[in-house]
Amino acid sequence: MFSKKTILIIGMIALVIVHLIILSLSIRKPSLSYPSGGTSISVIAPFQSLVTRFVRSLKQIWRRYFYLVHVAETNEKLEKLLEDATSRQTRCREIELANLRLRNELNFQKSMDDKVLSAEVVGKDPSPWFKSVMVDRGEVDGVRRGLPVVVPQGIVGIITDVTFKYSKVLLIVDRNCAVAAMIQRNRARGIINGKSGGQCSLNYILRKHDIIDGDTVISSGLDGVFPKGLRIGKISDVAILKSGIFQEVTVDPFVDFETLEEVIIILNPRTNEFMIR
Amino acid sequence: MITLVFYAFLCLGLIILQTTILSNIPWPGNCYDLLIPFVLYLGIYRPMGEGLFMVITLGLVMDTISSGPLGLYGAAYLSLFCSYKWGTRFFHVGNRLFLPVVVASGVLLENLLYILTIALSTPFYRLPEDGMGIVAGQVLLALLTGIFPFMWIRSLHRAWDRWYYIILEREKQNGI
Repeated sequence: MFSKKTILIIGMIALVIVHLIILSLSIRKPSLSYPSGGTSISVIAPFQSLVTRFVRSLKQIWRRYFYLVHVAETNEKLEKLLEDATSRQTRCREIELANLRLRNELNFQKSMDDKVLSAEVVGKDPSPWFKSVMVDRGEVDGVRRGLPVVVPQGIVGIITDVTFKYSKVLLIVDRNCAVAAMIQRNRARGIINGKSGGQCSLNYILRKHDIIDGDTVISSGLDGVFPKGLRIGKISDVAILKSGIFQEVTVDPFVDFETLEEVIIILNPRTNEFMIR
Repeated sequence: MITLVFYAFLCLGLIILQTTILSNIPWPGNCYDLLIPFVLYLGIYRPMGEGLFMVITLGLVMDTISSGPLGLYGAAYLSLFCSYKWGTRFFHVGNRLFLPVVVASGVLLENLLYILTIALSTPFYRLPEDGMGIVAGQVLLALLTGIFPFMWIRSLHRAWDRWYYIILEREKQNGI
């Protein structure tokens, strides 16, 4: 009745339509995921982890050695002294920075009553439109969907997908991420959503609230995910439109997502208690 | 079967390159999706069944590792594949002169679908503020460099086929 070609064309159109239906369903319900999703992450994430570590070690080598060699070439007379001194200084500085970072993390972990787990970022989202990272902790470490992820500077995001050894973290700068927040100074409550340009917007803040640039935004704990009192960012812009009952508030997150290397996953968040920092 | 193994290795390499190294390079809007040249390669040069299977699988994998809505990559890749497969009947899209434009148009179409999806998922159908910058950056980069991954994939595939042919010949000679 139909030629092979016609069946093929109909099949292709049907496939595109099926994908568009799945897409429209998932826009309405973002928590939808393919049943085999974990397999892809389990296959790709170990390679991401390997390459990320390799690139980081290359960077280290570049910073520590090649740069020093270049300096030595330009100043033959001081070559030996300079190389030794700078090498030692760089190493010490690296150790000092690592020490400071780890001490900071340790203090932060100690200051939290919750059970926490540190994880390393091994990969980023393939698209610039969406913001997520892959971390090297999974089900085997006790990680599960919906757990909050933080760093000493503030909130990072939320676990959205978990495989045996790896997890995907949706960052707070992603448009699909939402965190219940409040302004520390006047306790005005709203919801933090991701926005373009690595910023967030604080939505549903009533016009009556007095908000100024530089105000600190913290988590309110009302979302049942993030403990109350965690730092999120500071307000960088406030716009009160002529119409509408809410203000348009832009927030600069405290966390630098471009240089994020290690994160802390809160394994048993107690959302109804205030965090002692 | 052996071609699918090649595709699997190639895709794994491209995905890892994209998510670990290229995502850290500061280019306006980041680098374009490196799998687009691959999808276009399948659409222009490869048989329908083989290409369709790869495109659907690739869509599934990318939808899983990205935080975008489910089906977004699948729909984008499938639409691109179908459009270019259909386009080869009317245009000589495989010409080297047109290849940068072909890749750039693929990048543009993919990004337009993303922008549309993001706008549909916002309460007032708002377009992303930095959308123009990201799209312009990616299309420009695709125009300048799009031909390289495309040609690279093509020559790599030829090398793979040659290598496989040599192995087959050796096996025949040895009577295996």
